[in-house]
Order: sequence, then structure tokens, then C-alpha cells
Amino acid sequence: MLLMALPAFIGFMTFFITPAVMSFGYSVTNWSVYRPEPSYVGLKNFQTLFSDAQALAAIEHSIRYALIMTVVQNTLAIFLAVLLNKKLMMANVLKTIFFLPAVLSILVVGYLFKFIMTSAPSGMLNSAIGAFGGAPVNWLGDPNLALYSVLATQVWQWTGWAMVIYIANLKSIDASLYEAARIDGAGPMQVFGRVTLPLLYPATSFNVLMSLIGGLKMFDAVYAMTRGGPGYASETIMTTMISTGFKAGRNAYACAFAVVFFVVVFTMSKAVTFVLNKWEAAIT
Amino acid sequence: MSKSVKNGLWSVLFAAIGAFMLIPIYYLVVNTFKTMEEATFRPLGLPLNPTFENYTTALQSMNFLRALTNNLTILVFAVLFLVLFSSMAAYAIVKGKTICSKVMYSIFLIGLIIPFQVTIIPLYRIAVGFGMMNTLPGVIIINVFCINLSLSIFLFRGFINTIPAEMEEAAAIDGCGVFKTFWVIIFPLLSPIIATVGILDALAVWNDFMTPLLFLQSPEKNVLLQEVHKNVGPFSTNWTVFLPMLVLSVLPMVIIFLILQKHIIEGVVAGAVKG
Repeated sequence: MLLMALPAFIGFMTFFITPAVMSFGYSVTNWSVYRPEPSYVGLKNFQTLFSDAQALAAIEHSIRYALIMTVVQNTLAIFLAVLLNKKLMMANVLKTIFFLPAVLSILVVGYLFKFIMTSAPSGMLNSAIGAFGGAPVNWLGDPNLALYSVLATQVWQWTGWAMVIYIANLKSIDASLYEAARIDGAGPMQVFGRVTLPLLYPATSFNVLMSLIGGLKMFDAVYAMTRGGPGYASETIMTTMISTGFKAGRNAYACAFAVVFFVVVFTMSKAVTFVLNKWEAAIT
Repeated sequence: MSKSVKNGLWSVLFAAIGAFMLIPIYYLVVNTFKTMEEATFRPLGLPLNPTFENYTTALQSMNFLRALTNNLTILVFAVLFLVLFSSMAAYAIVKGKTICSKVMYSIFLIGLIIPFQVTIIPLYRIAVGFGMMNTLPGVIIINVFCINLSLSIFLFRGFINTIPAEMEEAAAIDGCGVFKTFWVIIFPLLSPIIATVGILDALAVWNDFMTPLLFLQSPEKNVLLQEVHKNVGPFSTNWTVFLPMLVLSVLPMVIIFLILQKHIIEGVVAGAVKG
């Protein structure tokens, strides 16, 4: 019987578990393209990492990015799902329109918005702002703005994905519950807060974890739009790890980054799961 | 306010939001048919003299057919192996009911907790060791085992759990072995979940940029996204030539989406509900 699991298991052990364990192992060595024979150096890579301003900024960006992404995307998705759940003629067409960006590659979306947000006179976004009399904005060149510009494109791309999951969850809610709430004299906001939102728990817990982890993994859009710049204003854990590992050849240091990445993903998803469980306990 | 007026207002609001969402895509498509001058001065207008020259240039400079062939090869084999390997593994896990299968399952689940990027530096070394660098099978293997296997097994397991045991008991009485029972009795019952897994995996494989970027360096092995990256990345001034490349690299998936949208959205939802 277990023979049937063997192809998957062998492949998984060889190409996932082994390199994952190796990442932890190499993170305490001095392995690099210049030192193909690594030797043990203790926690030196981690010391370097935690005293490097760029590395710390990258970690901070990834966390900030993931948290904002999670909140904005899910708020918008729930809002749209509740509206689209009304029986409108166009509901299905709109569902398709909102979902469509999720089919496009992140890299392509990144390049598309790089054209739209360019500070050159041809930039569509700035032309539009200009048409309303506003001053042009340096969307990708302003260090205080670059990360949020990238984030906005990802909200545009993924909100529809979360939305269809919320809609499916809404459809499973028994209509008689709304009826009962209305008879008890609840207003629309109360119905949403007391009936709809608690019953959206399954979709919310899934979507929140997905957008959190997706946000922490952010690579393609930054790579296409800013390359981490200006300076390192939009570097994320992933872009820094790939450039130190593959461009600079500092393999062990990149492995230390991978370990830190794992710890960040693990603790943040545990923390969010903890909050979600509290919420679940409160509503049941 | 009467109900129909209210619905009418909602519809107007929604049409407006929908149109707003589509502006970037409209901008992308409409400017592929313009010269650079026209696109600069009338970015949102319909093309005055539609030209296909941008597309001809794009098709050539991104080696469209070659890259598309590479994409399709990776997609077809990766999805095929994912469906085969993960359905078999999930069946063994569900029916095995031994300590061994439980341990195996928890190991597979590690892939849901650890993002595959954690493995990437040593994976590169392993890929070099196995001679997988610059080969399509290399990218297929990584897409199957490192990126998508765990979720696929998880989804298959959830579905197989719901299949009543009588189905197999009947097969056992008829003298079917484990393999035959799986292929003849179980596998045909899996079609809904095969669709879900196939759709989720196909989207993930098609849109994966990091793996080809790192593991396929010779130009003749490049996939569409790499061609886009190579041509558009340097960001020269003649940008209307690049927009068709963006369109061409996503067009196959968009066409498939528009045809199968109902199934794709259902697949995404099913993946979430089981998860």
C-alpha cells in the first residue's frame, strides 16, 4: 500500500526536506562561491544579518507589507463579496472581472503598473492626476512611497481571489438567520456585525493566512517594479535573499536569511492563528 | 426607496467599480495597437490607426513560439505528475492506517508550513548535482515536489476520506489488488478534485517566475516570463513595443480562464473550503 506513496515521498524528501534541512545547516557555516568547502562559524551570519541596516529594513518591510496587505485585501474583499452577494444582474460578470487579475502573472502585473506609474510625462496615473489639477507623484522613485505603490498593485491583483472565497462562504449562510435578525429589529450594520461576520469565520481564517504568507513571500512584483529601490526602500526578505545568494554568491549568509524567513513566517502565522482561534472561541 | 430603484443604484455603482478595476487592463491592451507618440499623448483613447506592428516585433524579439513550447511542456508534465503522484500518495495515506502512513502524511504537511523559498540555495546545489540545471525536467521536478506537492496531497486526502469504504470492499471481493482497485475504482471517482488540483497547480506553474529565473539560464530554454523579463526589464524608451509582450505572455491563461472561468473559480473555492 505504502508503495503508492513512494514516488511522491522520495521526491519530496530529496527536493524539499533535504534542502530545507541543509539551509539550516549551512546557515552556521561560511559557505560561499569563494569558499566551496564550508566550515563551521557559529552564529556569525546571524550577527552580521542583525547588524546590517539593509537586512533589517528588508525584514521590517516584509512584515509591514504582509500586515497591511492582509488587512486591506480582506476588508475590501469582504465588502465586495457582501455587495456582490445581492442578486444583481451583473453579479456574475463582475465576479469574473474582479477575479481576472489573479490569472495574470505577478511579474506581468508588476511591469504593467511600472508603465502606469512611471514618473515620465507618459505615465497614465500622473496624467490622470494632472487632468484633475493635481501635482505629479513619483510613485516608484519616492522612498516613502515605493513599497506602498507595489502593495497597491497586489491588492488590485488578489482581492478578487479572496472575494470569490468569501462569496462562497456567504452563499452557505442560512437565509433564515438574516430573517430572524431583522425580526429582532437589527439594522443592516448590526446584521453584518452580529450575523454575517462571525459566520464568515471559515473564509476569513483561510484568506487571512493566505494573504499574510503571500505578503511575506513577496518577490516578483518588487523585482519587476523597483528592484528593491530606491536605495533599499522597497527591499523585502525574498529580494534580499535572492540577491545575496545568487548575485553576490554569499550562500551561507543567504541560508541564514532563509532561516530568519522561516522563523518570521512561522511566528507570524502562529500569532495570527492564535488571534483567529480567540475570535472563533468568542463567537461560538 | 423601492426595491428596483435601489437595485438599479447598486448596479450603477458596481458597473463603475468594475470599469475602474478594468482600466489597467484596458490601458495595456489598447496601447498595444498604437505608435509610441499616440500612446504618449492619448494613453486612454482608442487607437486612431490601429497597427499590429508592435505585435510582430514582440513575437519575434521574445521568440514567442519557442518560449510558449517550453511553457506548455513544463505545464503539462508538472500537472500530470502532480495529479498522479499526489492522488496515489493520498490514497495510500488514507487507506494505509499505519503509524508509517501517519508519519508520512505529517512530513508532507511540512511543505504547507515551510515556504519552498527556504530551500532555494541548497536546492540549487542539489540541482547542479543531479544535472538538472538548464533542463526543463529540472524545472518540472521543482514545480512538482518543492512548490505544489503538499497542497495537492492535502486536497486529495480530504476528498478520498469522503469515499465510502464499500466501494473498495466490493472490488476486493472481486479479487482486485491495491493498484487495480485504485486505478479502476477510485481514480475515476476523483474527477472533481482532479479538476480542482489541476486548476490550482496549472495556475501556480504557469505563473511561477522564480524557478525558471534561477534554474533555466540558456536562452533556448527560457519561458515566456523570462523573455518578458529580458526584454522589458531594461525598460527602454520605446515602451509600446513591450506592452504586446505582456499581453502575449498572459494571453494563453486568460483565454483558458475566460472559457473555463466557472470551473476555475469553483476550483479556487473548493481548494479553500477543504483547506
